[in-house]
Amino acid sequence: MSPPARGTQAPEVKKHELPVSKDGNLVVGLCDGETSMEVKGVKAGESLTRAQAQHVSGALMEEWLRKNPNAHWDAVPLVAQAPAPGSTTPRTQQPRTPAPSKGTVREGGVTPESGGAEVKKQQAVPIQDGHTYGAFSDRDEAIWAASTEQFVDEGHRVFHDAQAIGGTVGISCDMCHPDASNTHPETYPKYQVQLGRVALLRDMINWCIENPVRGRPLADGDPRMRAMEAYIYAKRKGVKLEYGKK
Amino acid sequence: MRPPCGVALSLAVLLFAHSGQAQPQDREVVSSPADLPPGVSAVLWKLSVPPHLAPTPERVLLGEKLFNDQRLSVDNTVSCSTCHDPRLGFADAKPVSEGVKGQKVTRNSPTILNALFNASQFWDGRASTLEDQAKLPILNPREMGMPDEAAVVAKVKTIPEYVRDFQKVFNREVNFDDLAVAIAAFERTLYSGNARFDRFITGDAKAFSAAERRGWALFNGKARCNTCHAGNVVSPLFSDQKFHNIGIAAHKTDFPQLAREGLKVVRTGDEKQIDELALETRFSELGRFLVTKQENDVGAFKTPTLRNIAITGPYMHDGSLVTLWDVMDHYNKGGVPNPYLDGGMQRLGLTETEIDDVVAFLFTLTDEQFVKFATQEQARQRGLKSKRPERDTAVAMGKKGNLGDLAPNPDLAVKNPADIGVYGTEAQVKPASTSKP
Repeated sequence: MSPPARGTQAPEVKKHELPVSKDGNLVVGLCDGETSMEVKGVKAGESLTRAQAQHVSGALMEEWLRKNPNAHWDAVPLVAQAPAPGSTTPRTQQPRTPAPSKGTVREGGVTPESGGAEVKKQQAVPIQDGHTYGAFSDRDEAIWAASTEQFVDEGHRVFHDAQAIGGTVGISCDMCHPDASNTHPETYPKYQVQLGRVALLRDMINWCIENPVRGRPLADGDPRMRAMEAYIYAKRKGVKLEYGKK
Repeated sequence: MRPPCGVALSLAVLLFAHSGQAQPQDREVVSSPADLPPGVSAVLWKLSVPPHLAPTPERVLLGEKLFNDQRLSVDNTVSCSTCHDPRLGFADAKPVSEGVKGQKVTRNSPTILNALFNASQFWDGRASTLEDQAKLPILNPREMGMPDEAAVVAKVKTIPEYVRDFQKVFNREVNFDDLAVAIAAFERTLYSGNARFDRFITGDAKAFSAAERRGWALFNGKARCNTCHAGNVVSPLFSDQKFHNIGIAAHKTDFPQLAREGLKVVRTGDEKQIDELALETRFSELGRFLVTKQENDVGAFKTPTLRNIAITGPYMHDGSLVTLWDVMDHYNKGGVPNPYLDGGMQRLGLTETEIDDVVAFLFTLTDEQFVKFATQEQARQRGLKSKRPERDTAVAMGKKGNLGDLAPNPDLAVKNPADIGVYGTEAQVKPASTSKP
C-alpha cells in the first residue's frame, strides 16, 4: 500500500491558541475557542485564588454572552452556588428490614405438598426463589441506589474542585456551570463548532478542561471523567434525550 | 420543570410517617459507629442494622459474655466461640464444625466478621436475622445440644450473674429472645474493613505488589470472580448474597435423586427441621433447596464474603477445599458438572501464574489485625500447592471441549483495571511504577 496522501489524513483536533501577554500576565481562554482575557497582576504559570478565578470566569462568560446575544444559555447566576457535597437528593429508598423474630423457632411449618412459592409469604422477607440472576431484593436495589449516589457525589466534588480536575489556574467547572447548568448532556452527540467535529459529552468536558480550566485532558476511563459524566447526567434527570440539538 | 423542594420533602415525610406508624421503633434514627474502618460502608451498616436492634454497649457486653460461655451448651463444653474463635478469624479452621461430645456437623463454620451485613444467615440463608441465627446452634443436637428453649432459659437462670445482667439490660428476667438479641448485638460490632486492599483502593498504590495488582485485574477480568463476588464502596463485602450451585457437592451427590427424596421430607419454613437436616443429614447437600423447595436451588449455597478469606479456610460449605489454590482450581475448570450447575460457571483458562496472582490478591483482603495469621496461612497453603486434587488443567484450558468464551485477559500494559478504580468511584489509584508488569 502506498502511503496516504497528505490531504486525506484526519484533520488535526483543534486547539484554542491563546494570545501571549506582553507583560507576561496569565491569559485565560474561554471554551468557545476565541475569547480570552488577560489577568492583570497575575503572571503566567501562577494560579488564581477561588475568588479571582470566579471573577475571571464570570467576566469571560459575560463577554461571550455579549458576543452571542442569541445563544441558548439558561439564565443562571454566574457566581457558583455550589451545594454542599452529598446534597444531591438521595433516593428515598426504604430498605425493607427483615421481619423481627417471632421469638420461637417455628415448628410444624407447611406440609410437603405446599410449594416453595409460599415461603415468601410465610417469611415476609424477599427470598430468592430459584433464579440466581434477576432475583433482586429491595436491599439490592437500595445498595445500587446508594452506589449510584456516591458516584454522582464524587462527580459533584470533582466538578467543584479545580485541583481535583487537574486545573492549573484555579478555575473549576462550576464557575461557568453552577450546579451543572448549561452542560446539556442530553444534546450529545452533536457537532461542536469549536472542536470542528462531532463530540460526545466527554469530549466537551475535556475541551473545557484545556480551556479555561487549563488542565490535561482526562482519559476516557479516568474515574474523574466517569464521575463527572455521572454527575452531569444526574442533574438532568427526566430531560428528554435529544442528540444533535444545537 | 423541577418541583419545588418543599413538595418532595413533605411527600417523603408523609411516606416516612406512614411506615413509621406500623413499626414505631423504625422512627428512631440510629447512626452508624463513628469509627468505621475504610472498608466498612456506613450506608450498608444503616441498611443492615434494624434501628431497634442497634447494638447498645450494655447489650454488647452481655452478648459477648454469652458468646464465650460454654454453659450455654448441654455439657458445658461448647460455646459460640468454639466454632467462631476470635483468634481464628471467628471461624474454626476445621473442614466441618464439631459440637458437644465431639460430634461433627456437615457444614463449615463461616466467619462472623461482617456477618451483620449478610442479607441472610447460614450457608443456605435459613435464618433471616442474626437473632434467628443465634438461637439454632444452641438447640442443635450436634452443636450445643440443648434440648429446647425452656431448658436454656432454666439453665441461664441458675447463674445469678446472668439473672442480674438480663434485669439490668432488658429490664426483665432471662428469656431466649433477649439472649439472642444480646448475642446478635455483640455480632453487630464484629465488622472488619481494615485490609491492605482498602489502603490500595483509597489511593495508596504502593500497598500492592505487582502480583497483587495483576490479581486484582484478573479478579475483575479473566477470572470473573466479580460476577458473584462483586464489591464496591457501598457494599464492600465481595459477595452478591445470592445462592449458587457451583458443583462442590456434585462429586458425591446424585442431586435429582436427593431432591426427590428431600421434597418428601422437608417442611418448608420449619427452621428447626431445616437446621437439623442441614447439619446432620445427607440432605445438607441440597443447600438452598431445603429453604425454598425450588428446583433451581438444589445444591446452591450462599456466596460468602471474601473479606478475611485467607484466614478462614478450609473453604466451601463443607470445608472440602483445603487451600485457595484448590478453590481456584475448582473455578478454573468451571466447577463440577451437574444438572443444577449455575450458568455462570464456565472454565476460566487461567494459567498457573495467573492463579498465583489471584491468590496473592485474595490475601490482601485480610484485616490488619490478622496479618501475622495470614502470613502463616500463606506459607502453609503454599506448602500444599503440590497436592491439588481439584486441578484439571486440560479442562481449564479447553482441551476437553471448548465451551463458552473466556473473559478477556486484561492487557495490563495498556490498562490495568486496578488503575481506573473499577471497585467504586472515588479511588484514584495512581500507577505504582511505569515498569511493565
